[in-house]
Amino acid sequence: MIPIIGLAAGVLLGLFFDPTVPLWLQPYLPIAVVAALDAVFGGFRARLDGIFDARVFVISFVSNVVVAALIVFLGDQLGVGAQLSTAVVVVLGIRIFGNAAAIRRHVFRA
Amino acid sequence: MGASLLDAVLAETLDPAYAQAARDRAAQGTPSRPARAHRMRGQVLVALTMVVAGLLVAVTYHHAAMKSHGREQIRAALIGDIQKASGVTDDLAAELERLRAQVASTREKLLAATSVGQQALDQLAGAEQGAAAVPVTGPGLLVTLANAKASADQDPVGGAADASNGGQVRDGDLQVVVNALWAAGAEAISINGQRLGPTSAIRFAGEAVLVDFRPVTNPYEVSAIGDPKTLSSRFIAVPEVAALASVALSFDMRFDFAQEDELSLPAAGTPELRVARADTPGPATPAADPTPGG
Repeated sequence: MIPIIGLAAGVLLGLFFDPTVPLWLQPYLPIAVVAALDAVFGGFRARLDGIFDARVFVISFVSNVVVAALIVFLGDQLGVGAQLSTAVVVVLGIRIFGNAAAIRRHVFRA
Repeated sequence: MGASLLDAVLAETLDPAYAQAARDRAAQGTPSRPARAHRMRGQVLVALTMVVAGLLVAVTYHHAAMKSHGREQIRAALIGDIQKASGVTDDLAAELERLRAQVASTREKLLAATSVGQQALDQLAGAEQGAAAVPVTGPGLLVTLANAKASADQDPVGGAADASNGGQVRDGDLQVVVNALWAAGAEAISINGQRLGPTSAIRFAGEAVLVDFRPVTNPYEVSAIGDPKTLSSRFIAVPEVAALASVALSFDMRFDFAQEDELSLPAAGTPELRVARADTPGPATPAADPTPGG
């Protein structure tokens, strides 16, 4: 329950205060969101599996976001930013799908 | 790792670190319910992380929405600018037209008073006729040139622009027709309603034929004012026209002409005033500037 309240609080904070993001960081926001989604879904699934660990969750979240942004940054520097972000989105998307399916199995038993 | 990368990606959807941590806990014998303080700390951390996640989502959403909104705003502003500028252009063109008419009527009034002036007026009328500055109506010849129809096996997207496609009307074809019409005694010529003046150019830019730097499109209708009978008989007699006709035949282009009783041609674009000189020397005569960039 607390994590969901936290998520809602974060969304409300973001919508109300509308913090300005530095220009150099803006291209990495969407990919960071996808990475964060992956970590959140993974954490939720782990909780349903009964093996949730706060430390692992926090570390995986932070590292996911940072690494995804870093990969895209590196790709931008090498001139393959679009391709690399596609790769990141594909991999994370598959993981999100897999975790969502596992969550579905837990929740609906189907 | 025996499985391929894709298999690994597809199979390992959950971060293996969770399973590892669970195993570690089991190995150390720590109870699955850790100490209260420890649990609290973990929950706070998780909640904070979720706050960050929510913040990230909200900011990204807001950012994307704002970006599209800003683009729309800029677009609307640009469209407004364009409309304003073309409105100003229209106003200026209308004013120019009005002033030109005023000048013409004043000039006529002044010159008509004297016989010398009358002579000058007649000369002016002739010059205006020659400079295509006035619209004309009359019988004449209508020459039509059109590209060959694209054959069925031709790729309409990529195949149209290649050099092997000979069935396209080029600037040279139109130049031949126009020159032949002048030679045949045409008094005034227009292409697709675009009057040719003495300084008009027929050029080719990419795929489009430009007349006076304005594009004209297929089919090309060249209207020439003159006596239709002599015009057509002399027009056929020009050797370049015969050559063009045979080219058109072999490339399946359309090339025909018809005598018309009534053709009306607009005036050409108003010629730019490039040089003006005061006729009576005087100390207070303002020197007219030549048109900048003319």
